[in-house]
Amino acid sequence: MALLSPLLPTFSSLRPNLSQKLHRTLLPKKKSSLFLTRCAGNGAGKVGSATVEEKLEGKKEEAIPLESEGKLPPESRDSNGAAVKAVIPTFNDPRWIGGTWDLKQFEKDGKTDWDAVIDAEVRRRKWLEDNPEASNNDEPVIFDTSIIPWWSWVKRFHLPEAELLNGRAAMIGFFMAYFVDSLTGIGLVDQMGNFFCKTLVLIAVAGVLLIRKNEDIDALKKLIEETTFYDKQWQATWQEDETPSVSNK
Amino acid sequence: MASLSSPTTAATRRQDSPIRPFVGLRRSPSNNCIPTSRNAVPSRHHLQIRAAKSSPRLPGRPLRVAVVGGGPAGGAAAETLAKGGVETILIERKLDNCKPCGGAIPLCMVEEFGLPLDLIDRRVTKMKMISPSNVAVDIGRTLKPHEYIGMVRREILDAYLRDRAAEAGAQLINGLFLQLDLPESGEGPYRLHYNLYNKGTSSVASERQTVEVDAVVGADGANSRVAKSIGSGDYDYAIAFQAMRIPEEKMKYYEERAEMYVGDDVSPDFYGWVFPKCDHVAVGTGTVTHKGEIKRFQAATRLRARDKIEGGKIIRVEAHPIPEHPRPRRVLGRVALVGDAAGYVTKCSGEGIYFAAKSGRMCAEAIVEGSENGNRMINESDLRKYLKKFDQMYWPTYKVLDVLQKVFYRSNSAREAFVEMCADEYVQKMTFDSYLYKKVVPGNPLDDLKLAVNTIGSLVRANALRKEMNKITL
Repeated sequence: MALLSPLLPTFSSLRPNLSQKLHRTLLPKKKSSLFLTRCAGNGAGKVGSATVEEKLEGKKEEAIPLESEGKLPPESRDSNGAAVKAVIPTFNDPRWIGGTWDLKQFEKDGKTDWDAVIDAEVRRRKWLEDNPEASNNDEPVIFDTSIIPWWSWVKRFHLPEAELLNGRAAMIGFFMAYFVDSLTGIGLVDQMGNFFCKTLVLIAVAGVLLIRKNEDIDALKKLIEETTFYDKQWQATWQEDETPSVSNK
Repeated sequence: MASLSSPTTAATRRQDSPIRPFVGLRRSPSNNCIPTSRNAVPSRHHLQIRAAKSSPRLPGRPLRVAVVGGGPAGGAAAETLAKGGVETILIERKLDNCKPCGGAIPLCMVEEFGLPLDLIDRRVTKMKMISPSNVAVDIGRTLKPHEYIGMVRREILDAYLRDRAAEAGAQLINGLFLQLDLPESGEGPYRLHYNLYNKGTSSVASERQTVEVDAVVGADGANSRVAKSIGSGDYDYAIAFQAMRIPEEKMKYYEERAEMYVGDDVSPDFYGWVFPKCDHVAVGTGTVTHKGEIKRFQAATRLRARDKIEGGKIIRVEAHPIPEHPRPRRVLGRVALVGDAAGYVTKCSGEGIYFAAKSGRMCAEAIVEGSENGNRMINESDLRKYLKKFDQMYWPTYKVLDVLQKVFYRSNSAREAFVEMCADEYVQKMTFDSYLYKKVVPGNPLDDLKLAVNTIGSLVRANALRKEMNKITL
């Protein structure tokens, strides 16, 4: 449990792509204030660790207490009557205040470190996906991803992918131009004036954009079928009608 | 193009229920359509469909129509038929049936069907949408003071509509519909077999009765027997599971508020809800693709709402099927399906009461018109007119909701984007307008463009976060 305190200051400089082992210990950053207010004074760190161990595979063993422990008081579990897990470690993070990220705590060199905000939100969502929590009215979550400026998203997500796709397109383009030239003798400039070649360029660009992984081919086929599936279900009752007196939809 | 990554996640998630190629009733199906039913039904090629105007006048008696099922669809149909001069019998097996149902009706239903306002237990004017990561958004700010979503108890609503039908002249029969015999010849009568429940006796003492009618309106719900009799084919359905709770002082919070929880934990393709009823709340969830895990989803819904329903007790647990799409065959000969039996439940929101009542009424209107107030025999083309009218009127609504479901219920990231979008006032206004009045009203094109940009932005951001989430392991 003492592991966590030294790790806290290093959190903001950590990148998600780094070693995954490191991330396990960074677990407990999640939803804090929701349960901070409810379980004030519940210093049941020991109990927390014991139940956490039995509940989770061990990934979260170090996860338990941060500063003030946010943990469910036992009685609320039983009265539920639902098949809820015994103890749910809650999301705790000192920078998560009042249902949103406190941007002041993300400052680096006087400016907000948006990448760290994105990382923090990713972690929070991941935590909640694995450990869904009750939504609380006292501390409603009001974080909206649109407060993170567009250029930060572009820089982090769009640009690397754009580089990748442009690289693929350039490689395909170069070799196709070479190939066509070797077959037909038409140079690059003349190829651009040819309708067939222009069509090939369009297909290549569309292909590079749409098919980024092997699975995308199947996914696209499914998507196309999905778009018309519902329409077909509705029109089924008309399709078996053979008299011309009723018009189809 | 980040949104394209969602099909892959959806594809992996939907591996257990891949999209089957669509089979109507024509091709020999490899899945769930009932092939033998086509043989049982008289071949349609030989039926001659003539226009109603040339149909023979009925000899000295009005048209006789049986409405099977006394829910909103049956009640509305029976009332309209009776008012139109058609001799109507309404067969309902359980007159005090407490249907496990959300019970939400739009404003236009109150107006169109002239429902008295004391039918409505609660008026919901605030809805809270809660995302998988518990981002909570309140919608309803744009509602005008006279606008609300009405919450009714089904047994009250159904009884009211049935009584109105009886007052208009329909004959209400408390009985269980058993079987429908199709006519031997083109103009012959349909024979219905049913168990009549004698008042005051147990259902054991029921007598089997038969009645002959000219046309049948099947309004007997998702497990429609009338639909089976005409070989309508199957449909996919969701299971909705509800457990009612009564937390005492917490009811104040739900006074005018309903909640919707989205997330994979709560339902992979639908949502979990907390709807206020007269003196308790209904906490439920539904799913199409993972029906076996419905109890787990229900537990997850209770967990998410735990703080707000703490201290409550479960008083009733119930489940019911919700059709996902219309049956392949909704009309055959002089039998038509309406309401849940036909499969008129919207996607995304799972709304069915209004469409059931409306379709019942439309079908009845088509019968009344085609028979010239009960004087002539009708035939299939009259019933198809009802289908055409209904499809044309509500197709945009269904399609839009289908698209919304496909886009926003795909994955957790899409749901996060969905909840984020709901915070936008324009979205709220459009959503409520189209829900309350059932009209897809085109808004300001500039606002629409802004909305489109915001939607794409939300989806892209949510998917980008999703990709990052996949990279880390906690």
